[in-house]
Amino acid sequence: MEFITNHLVSLVVFTPAIFALILALLPGDGETGKKLLKTAAIIFSLVVFLLSCVLYQTFDSTATGFQFVERHEWISVFGISYYIGIDGISLLLILLTTFLTPIVLLGSWNAIEQKLKAYLCLLLFLETGMLGAFVALDIILFYGFWEAMLIPMYLLIGVWGGKERIYASTKFFLYTLVGSLLMLIAIFTLMSMHKAQLGAYSAALTDLYKVKVPFNGFNSPQTWMFLAFALAFAIKVPLFPLHTWLPDAHVQAPTAGSVILAGVLLKLGGYGFIRFAFPLFPQAMHLLAPVFMGLSAIAIVYGAWVAMVQPDIKKLVAYSSVSHMGFVILGLFSLNAIAVNGSIYQMLNHGISTGGLFLIVGMIYERRHTREISDFGGITRVMPIFAVIFMIVTLSSIALPGTNGFVGEFLILLGAFQTHKIITIVAATGVIFGAIYMLWMFQRVMFGPIQNNENKHLKDLSLREIVVMAPIIVAIFVMGIFPNLFLSKMDVSVKAFLSQMKI
Amino acid sequence: MEDQLIKPQNLNLSREQLAMLLPYLLVAVGAMVTLLAGVTRNANNKLAAAGVGFLTIVAALYSVTAVWGEPSITLFGGMLAADYSSGLFNALLLGATGLVLLSSYSYLEKEGIHYAEYYSLLLFSCLGMMLLASSLDLIVLFVSLEVMSIGVYVLVGFRRTDVKSNEAALKYFILGSAASAILLFGIALIYGATGTMNITELAVIAKTNPAVNPLMSLASVLVLAGFLFKVATVPFHMWMPDVYEGAPTSVTNFMTTGLKAAAFASFMRVFMNMGFGDNLTSTLNIGLHNVLWVIALLTMFFGNVIALTQRNIKRMLAYSSIAHTGYIVVGFISGGRSEYGYTSIVVYLIAYVIMNIGAFTIVALVGERGDRNTDVQDYAGLGFRHPLLGFGMAVFMFSMAGIPPTVGFAGKYLIFSSAVQAGETTLAILAVLCSAISAYYYLRVIVFMYMKDPIRDSRVAFTIPVTLVIFAATVATLSFGLFPSMLIHAAKKAASI
Repeated sequence: MEFITNHLVSLVVFTPAIFALILALLPGDGETGKKLLKTAAIIFSLVVFLLSCVLYQTFDSTATGFQFVERHEWISVFGISYYIGIDGISLLLILLTTFLTPIVLLGSWNAIEQKLKAYLCLLLFLETGMLGAFVALDIILFYGFWEAMLIPMYLLIGVWGGKERIYASTKFFLYTLVGSLLMLIAIFTLMSMHKAQLGAYSAALTDLYKVKVPFNGFNSPQTWMFLAFALAFAIKVPLFPLHTWLPDAHVQAPTAGSVILAGVLLKLGGYGFIRFAFPLFPQAMHLLAPVFMGLSAIAIVYGAWVAMVQPDIKKLVAYSSVSHMGFVILGLFSLNAIAVNGSIYQMLNHGISTGGLFLIVGMIYERRHTREISDFGGITRVMPIFAVIFMIVTLSSIALPGTNGFVGEFLILLGAFQTHKIITIVAATGVIFGAIYMLWMFQRVMFGPIQNNENKHLKDLSLREIVVMAPIIVAIFVMGIFPNLFLSKMDVSVKAFLSQMKI
Repeated sequence: MEDQLIKPQNLNLSREQLAMLLPYLLVAVGAMVTLLAGVTRNANNKLAAAGVGFLTIVAALYSVTAVWGEPSITLFGGMLAADYSSGLFNALLLGATGLVLLSSYSYLEKEGIHYAEYYSLLLFSCLGMMLLASSLDLIVLFVSLEVMSIGVYVLVGFRRTDVKSNEAALKYFILGSAASAILLFGIALIYGATGTMNITELAVIAKTNPAVNPLMSLASVLVLAGFLFKVATVPFHMWMPDVYEGAPTSVTNFMTTGLKAAAFASFMRVFMNMGFGDNLTSTLNIGLHNVLWVIALLTMFFGNVIALTQRNIKRMLAYSSIAHTGYIVVGFISGGRSEYGYTSIVVYLIAYVIMNIGAFTIVALVGERGDRNTDVQDYAGLGFRHPLLGFGMAVFMFSMAGIPPTVGFAGKYLIFSSAVQAGETTLAILAVLCSAISAYYYLRVIVFMYMKDPIRDSRVAFTIPVTLVIFAATVATLSFGLFPSMLIHAAKKAASI
């Protein structure tokens, strides 16, 4: 017991990987074998979720600084250590990750027939990679998780994806790699500055925060290093104009891949800004904040416009992601307590509601093997339960009061308005466009007469599918009605973050 | 003057010196014994030769570990170094040769070119490499370079009836001889300028007279060109893709790993001793820095860009190996001006040897007689047909692309972070961008292995030695990637004079 409480975070992070190895050793032939594998994977991921709930329970939301800290020597010549810990912000993102993983595993129960074992193992490895990146307090450890996580995602898209999967997965990999390699150079610069200023190598974040990175206007090391970090994170978010990999990757990825990609991977970009780029280079951040706020406003409006004209539901959801994540960046760069709270909350919301939308698209695709909006119409008549669930998730995505989406977007706009009025007004129009494209899509797919004969005999959701969607629906309302359950956990951490950013 | 004459008492070897010399002696004896096996007409002579060869390597490795970490001395009146660096490189080169030897047996059988002499040539060449890596005298350096090269010239043409193999051997021989001549000319000029061939003495002269001596500058350029030819940087790389493709795959394996590591080890010893990278105050150092800067960039860029267009895996790995050479040259540029500059070269070389041996062994294993089945398309579906083999290849590809947690990342980490520390940020940025280009063609192998359906159903015939080699390389790639501390410590020790 002592061991578990001392290494709780490590346990949460590495349990999925260990389970993946166990899974690889299980027999997986035949129907029963496959069922066994799928059941085992779901049970494993539930265990991880329960562990992270223990984390949530024992987390002290009044204490400042990092909790559950663990530190061991690793590559001591460069001051690199196995240094992990969490604060309120990472706690919630961990919960999001462990919450979504069992859902996607159950959601892809029937979707994956080929090479099932490899698929399940990769999903679990991916979970370890993402969790590791959220808890790492050593910048090289973070980089390791950040890069290593690419491999399972790349394979998930490339092996189990749609027709253009190879193009999409390679594009995803290379985009992310270029960004992170430039960040790596900035990390090296930072570490050698630490060595020069404080006399020793260290990769620990708490040490690197103390480095004074030279800053005098735009053409100075701090700005360039901030830009290198920002490039890596902005590609991941993805911020306009670096978003072009996202629609490809989303459309080609299997449902589980899309959900994880939208639900968790994109959040790593936002998290990276909060944990690394901002506190390490505060002055550069202040200098460039208007630029990034402007870009995020463009992303919000542009993403919404492009989503509006998409004939493919999945692509529409993908572009809506660009728009929603634009809000996150807008809130973060406005650097205002309300907006930052809203941004983090929006990250969670987006994970839940966009994840839910991708699951819904997956369910309808499994039935009809098409995602074209024009192939549908009048689905409400044949699939009433589906219609209700779809409606709730859609409303959450357009931020109707009472759902989770409202809390996030409202807080962001409220906060950002105090920092930059014009940009916020532009961004706010995105909310309206968001309502237009979502509702229009919903209307064309669900309402009206059934045009297409193939749609007449669609089966409504099975019990398994209802079980998949139930936690998401519950989360939508819980987060919409009791936001304090989560906001209170991160309040102290956000305050600490903002005080770090004062120059 | 008196003690420079050859006298019996000067030829005495002390116990320590003999112990230090033992690895070289063992390999030399082993090579000759193996040669004898070829003379016998016995049908089992190949097995005997391979066995003797392997035992020789094991024995030599043991004798290297027996003197591991002993205080450094010199042998033969300062001609040969016996220090930590030579110990580490001997171990690396012997290890590489041993693994290549293990993976060769079934490959040569498959290709129908199995002769006992192969092992003898391998060992002679290995001897040349070991001597090259520890030579402290330019003449010894030249002679060992030739010992190493001549063995390889023959090995490249080992597929006697194959035109490509012959072309490769001839090309390599002619261009290699030209490069040797240039190197030798440079050495002669150095002797003319300074009156000595000993590297330690040369270093003293170079450090005390930083003023530009035209003869010395010319000589440095010639010697540099000779080395750069052997390690194949742009613009001295033209021979390499043809040779790598034409040579039997096991020989290519040997060349990319052992030969390159030995040439770089020797280059580093000369470069480091002469203090060329220590500062940018003397004209010669600035000149060398600028030349290497341009060469490193060109090498990384062209190697990677041309590799993008290759469909044949052997050729692709050949060009990628040019690119890796470029990264190592970056290590030379930042070498003396950062804390882990030279260390990074050693780490990268070790990483490079490990992952290349793994990759080439797989290429040799998957290939069919006459080097067919070496196109990227032939790897379609391999990852699911042979999961462990596919996993190994994927690990090597990700490692070459520098993705953590592999040893390739550890190597790139050191190279690039040293470059940043030495103030070469621009070069480091260009280098990582080149490295991003490289990810594309390494990924292509993964794409074919896992994402494409096989064109035809070809099964791979595993043998125990080959499986062992692949397993060892995979484990080493991952474990040194996760826990590189030991590697870095050893490299640091080897890179300090």
